[in-house]
Amino acid sequence: MESTKFSPATRLTKEEIDRKWWEIGDYFRRSSLWMLMYCTGCCAIELPPAMTSAYDMERLGMGPMATPRQADVLLVTGYLSLKTLRRLIYTYEQMSEPKYVVGFGSCTINGGIYHDSHAVINQLDQYIPVDSYVAGCMPNTEAVMNGFIDLMGLIQTKKADGWKRYRDNNAWYKKNQIDSLGVVRVKDEFHD
Amino acid sequence: MTNVNYVSELLERSFTINNKEVIDKHQVSFEVEKQDVHQILSVLKTEGWIQLSYLSAIDWIDENEFELVYILMNWERPVHIQIRTRIERENATMNSIMPIFEGCKYYEREVHEFFGIKFPGNPDHEKQLILENWDDMPPMRKDFDPRAYSDAHFAKREYTTDFSNLNNEPSKQAKRNERKNRTLRFKGGKK
Repeated sequence: MESTKFSPATRLTKEEIDRKWWEIGDYFRRSSLWMLMYCTGCCAIELPPAMTSAYDMERLGMGPMATPRQADVLLVTGYLSLKTLRRLIYTYEQMSEPKYVVGFGSCTINGGIYHDSHAVINQLDQYIPVDSYVAGCMPNTEAVMNGFIDLMGLIQTKKADGWKRYRDNNAWYKKNQIDSLGVVRVKDEFHD
Repeated sequence: MTNVNYVSELLERSFTINNKEVIDKHQVSFEVEKQDVHQILSVLKTEGWIQLSYLSAIDWIDENEFELVYILMNWERPVHIQIRTRIERENATMNSIMPIFEGCKYYEREVHEFFGIKFPGNPDHEKQLILENWDDMPPMRKDFDPRAYSDAHFAKREYTTDFSNLNNEPSKQAKRNERKNRTLRFKGGKK
């Protein structure tokens, strides 16, 4: 005899089950974001107050992570010269999916005060996908915290899909990288 | 005798000094001839200026010359000495000072990279140090146009709306100046 205690499980397709698991995963992921700080520029000075007791990032469940392979969020704090952009691209490609990028300051948006420099790129989202920007030169710590909360909202609403865009439009990103950098992996005498 | 006087007498006794400038009691600058530089540096090294703090160049494009600046430091007599010398801008060449200060190896590479000055005697002076795969003229020369390079290489963000001056209001700079003048007026000018 069939039990009346439990209603029968509806037959779900594989896509629907996957989506439900992703929703569960996203819930846990956005509540415990491990961030990798790529402190390239002056906006990095906003991170110590955000991380320590003044604003206490830990209450959002965010914490620093030492290696790219275990991190979820890449923070690009400030301007990127050609040399640091090359290292940033390796770092981004080493991170495991899903991965999110937060760009700090006006330098990552349009070049900021370095818009006419020979060594500094202007637009970060030409080279790697950026999920959330924090505007300002430099941004307030409040704005930084707000940017992180925005990122959590974007993860919840499935709009933080930069890593998917990087996979789908990889040829376009690679072409931009080659156009500006020439060679992405440069061998120098101090490494390799 | 102060330390600055000591080093001035030391150099003026045996070399031609084109120009001397005492910046403060810890800094002094000498403009010397190109061929004297190596001798002056070795004399100063034996006198205790054992540290080459920096080597850089200045591009005087109107006079068609580069100026090389060697900065030395002595830990017994605390004076920074700047030895300045002018060299030709076309095919700029200066003999390396590696026999005297071996640490100049990297400074000379940097100067070669950013100004294109050659340093025969330094085996590595043409290797890249900071810029990677640079494909243009040395970027710190005054006739290099960084904006043109940036426009040619890096994508710019395009804005459909012009946010520069909303509602024809006076710009922020004008406002700021006005406020500053008003403050000065209340204070009664500078005292």
